[in-house]
Amino acid sequence: MTDHKVGTREEWLAAREQILVREKEHTRLGDELARQRRELPWVPVDKEYRFETDEGSASLADLFRGRSQLLVYHFMFGPDYTAGCPACSAIADGFDGFVVHLANHDVTLCVVSRAPLAKLDAYKRRMGWGFPWASSFGSDFNYDFDVSQTEDQQQSGGGEYNFRPVDPTPSDTGREGPLAEWAATTGTDWLTYTRERPGMSAFALEDGVVYHTYSAYARGLDGLWGMYQWLDRAPRGRNEERAPDDPLNFFRRHDEYDSE
Amino acid sequence: MTDHKIGTEQEWLAARRELLEAEKALMRRSDELARQRRELPWVPVEKDYVFETDNGRKTLAELFDGRSQLLVYHFMFGFGFRVDEHNPGCTGCSFVADHFDGVVPHLNGHDVTLVVESIAPLRELGPYKARMGWRFPWVSSLGSDFRYDFGAAFTEEQQRNGGEYNFRHVDQPPPQREGMSVFALEDGVAHHTYSTYARGVEQLMGTLRILDLAPRGRNEQGLEHPGAWWHRHDEYETAQNEVAR
Repeated sequence: MTDHKVGTREEWLAAREQILVREKEHTRLGDELARQRRELPWVPVDKEYRFETDEGSASLADLFRGRSQLLVYHFMFGPDYTAGCPACSAIADGFDGFVVHLANHDVTLCVVSRAPLAKLDAYKRRMGWGFPWASSFGSDFNYDFDVSQTEDQQQSGGGEYNFRPVDPTPSDTGREGPLAEWAATTGTDWLTYTRERPGMSAFALEDGVVYHTYSAYARGLDGLWGMYQWLDRAPRGRNEERAPDDPLNFFRRHDEYDSE
Repeated sequence: MTDHKIGTEQEWLAARRELLEAEKALMRRSDELARQRRELPWVPVEKDYVFETDNGRKTLAELFDGRSQLLVYHFMFGFGFRVDEHNPGCTGCSFVADHFDGVVPHLNGHDVTLVVESIAPLRELGPYKARMGWRFPWVSSLGSDFRYDFGAAFTEEQQRNGGEYNFRHVDQPPPQREGMSVFALEDGVAHHTYSTYARGVEQLMGTLRILDLAPRGRNEQGLEHPGAWWHRHDEYETAQNEVAR
């Protein structure tokens, strides 16, 4: 017999209807936030960024691929990584299935990372993904959009992440434990690993001018992380306490699970 | 020149920081809702439902496939948006289903099985699944009360005299609607824990979540109806294997 509270269909229904009211409120608040995002001022991007893509060298405007909106997923894959970040990989598993719907709705989703293109291409083939992935190696792009730190910033502080100043990283944090384990899965040490950060940035193109419209970081990416939306409705939720001694928590790259 | 309000980076940042607070508040509400869902009473499923699957006939408990949690997506087949003889799967449900294959390995690795269910013969689901290139398990509930009992299909009698959809009375419900039902298995007993319908399903769709972050949002104004831009992924002008070309 389960330890969980068991009820009749009527008891469940009464409780479920109360949650429904709050879920609807939540949906409407989400719609309202989406409206407020569209009211943010657009900031012209004056700097010339260069990216390496499968079609050769590209400007930020080129990454739109003829559409008027560009969503960049800032995937953690620094030049020294031997494999992409597992968390970013799980997020990418989600959007790989739906980029086609965005592409046909005037939105290009492009992944951008600092590693050289050859590394990105090899990893993309391993994971079987089809979305465009550009390399910002040698460009300020990642730094300007707050998703990479220089070694100097890491030691002395400076720059922002998620709209907050970033403190210097104490030299002994993360040397062991989860962060180090995560770093190891990308073939790096934790300091190298954490110089990259996850995020997404949105851009609009009008009359040849690129505008930055929006960026989100950290849990701002939760909504894109398909599995969390499902788990938030599962009986045991995100269930992350299940294996506290497992530094990688539960998820792996999709080809690293015991059963596919 | 764009008609949209242009600003400096400082102006953008000030507005963005304000929005961030609202986003964080909404995130906390979302976490709180998830907690409340987990507090719902579990209702033991007493009826014996049988499904046709690629591995033979299975009970509800067997659909868990060795895991303790089961998510069932109620996929509209043979009825729905832009459905005809050659396109038997609902266009809206097909769009939802494009979000499944990427998450399935992660859910499976985390004690959760995701199964898609339709009221249609299994032999009709297979070819459509192959056409769409999907890998998730898809079972037939044809001949069972399952989908009717969980509020995503309506009998002819209900279609005439009324039924409940999304926890509300509907005078003349259609034969099928979309939805998702959740179950927990403990000591061999399957319990119903949660169901969601209509815009509750939308929350599972990363496409709409990401469009909510895009400069033009869902960009559905001026369309005949909000879903008018949805097509099956093999019906678009730009094909799936062309998005990076």
